[in-house]
Amino acid sequence: MTKLHFIKTGLLTTIQDLGRVGHQHVGIPVGGAMDKASAKLANQLVDNDASHPLLEITLLGPTIRFEGDCQVAMTGADLSAQLNGQSTLLNETVNITDGDLLTFGRPMTGCRTYLAVRGHWTITPWLGSYSAATSKGETATPQSSIKKDQIIEIETKTPIAKQVIKSHLIDLKKPIKVIMGPEFDEFSNFFVGSFFSTTFTITADSNRMGYRLKECIEGYGNLKEVISSGVLPGTIQITNAGQPIVLMADAQTTGGYPRLLNVLTPELDRLAQMKPGDQVRFELVTDAIDPSAHFKIQ
Amino acid sequence: MKILAFGDSALLVNFEQKIDEATNQKVIDLATWLKTKSEVTYLIPAYCSLTVGFDTTKHKFEQLSQLIEAFDISDQTKQNEISKTIEIPVCYADEFALDLEDVMAQTGLSKAEIIKLHTHQVFKVYMLGFIAGFAYMGALPDQLKVSRKQQPRKVVHEGAVGLAGVQTGIYPTDAPGGWQIIGQCPTPMFDPSRAQPSYLQPGDVVQFKSISRQEFSALKAVSSNREVTHD
Repeated sequence: MTKLHFIKTGLLTTIQDLGRVGHQHVGIPVGGAMDKASAKLANQLVDNDASHPLLEITLLGPTIRFEGDCQVAMTGADLSAQLNGQSTLLNETVNITDGDLLTFGRPMTGCRTYLAVRGHWTITPWLGSYSAATSKGETATPQSSIKKDQIIEIETKTPIAKQVIKSHLIDLKKPIKVIMGPEFDEFSNFFVGSFFSTTFTITADSNRMGYRLKECIEGYGNLKEVISSGVLPGTIQITNAGQPIVLMADAQTTGGYPRLLNVLTPELDRLAQMKPGDQVRFELVTDAIDPSAHFKIQ
Repeated sequence: MKILAFGDSALLVNFEQKIDEATNQKVIDLATWLKTKSEVTYLIPAYCSLTVGFDTTKHKFEQLSQLIEAFDISDQTKQNEISKTIEIPVCYADEFALDLEDVMAQTGLSKAEIIKLHTHQVFKVYMLGFIAGFAYMGALPDQLKVSRKQQPRKVVHEGAVGLAGVQTGIYPTDAPGGWQIIGQCPTPMFDPSRAQPSYLQPGDVVQFKSISRQEFSALKAVSSNREVTHD
């Protein structure tokens, strides 16, 4: 048994997995890792299942003292992780020995680091997922939002041979690929044209529920209100002021703003690595899904 | 019924875009039927639309839309059992009815008339959303129709019973909100320690029952004791 002792919590450190699907009809968000590709990769590097719980570390990382030996792997953002004061590498299996101290420094690239630990995490899931719940999390997932001095116990397994992923580059410069949303046709060509020629800035008012973009698109006016309807992680809503909101992993399940676009699911991983102040552009793709589905079938 | 692609792994089924019981019943019936289908991973029933999630690695958009088109609403409605009415206690005491004056001014009704209109008929749970366990219920009689607050509250407390338009709802947790608050419900609407955390489900039929301040305290004590024994 190895213990992860959280000396400092960091800005926002939570336990995540691939989320809880199937409870949206009662308003429970899907949740799960914001950058699922990096989360899966981290677990893969320590030979855990893809759906295994792991830590999602946001911008300013925690300080963790390991009590016992284990193997860990970190992927995603480079938040200047140090093991016992020495820089430690992303994207490879790292052997930890009893007493090791993991700290983080300045965020260099990206926003979220994933830390997987080989073995069974002795925490309790809620509705089939370990992901920190957004409503009544204290009752639902009391261990999944990391608090100071919290201890997580891991039943370790026989170590595996060290694995390295040669390159897991997250390109934050390329535009984010989107497809048309349910209300796309109700927006004017002018509005759509302006949207795709705008470079947006992610505001400080952005979190795991959604990213608010700073630039409002002009010429947004007479669109009729949408009767509250389902929304998904990746849905881009436009507020009455013409401001886009990109819904993320912890998004509410329904909304009343028109749904202009949807970010392609794999592209959410890249978006999740962008942070407030970063700039983002969008690119409309039309061949990503079954083309017949773009049109009203009946 | 119109079927549209929604994101890269869901379909959106739009019914006639209006808020009424008959349209919402079509949504609920379709959702009830799709719940049993292995192709479907999740459902988000709303007033007049249904979001249907599915696994794109196993199924195509076309397959799913054909499945949905095959559903015969008229047939299903006949088989539907009449839902039993869930009684929900509400205390309308002044200390809880934070926006009573607003509601009285907007509707021209007395407090007694407001309570009567809120309790004398059954309402339907059209959908859940906004936050976990928040049920949108209606339709309120037109006399009780009120607009949302000009300035939403930063925190509406758990259990607060509100009105907005022809809808009524109960806040399942503390949350920001703009509904006009007329009472307080002692029954937890969202309790993660229950196997089914949400007290209400889409399609449920509810009726509010006016309770005194003393009854409220007694019921509240029972529900908090229950929470303690769960832990």
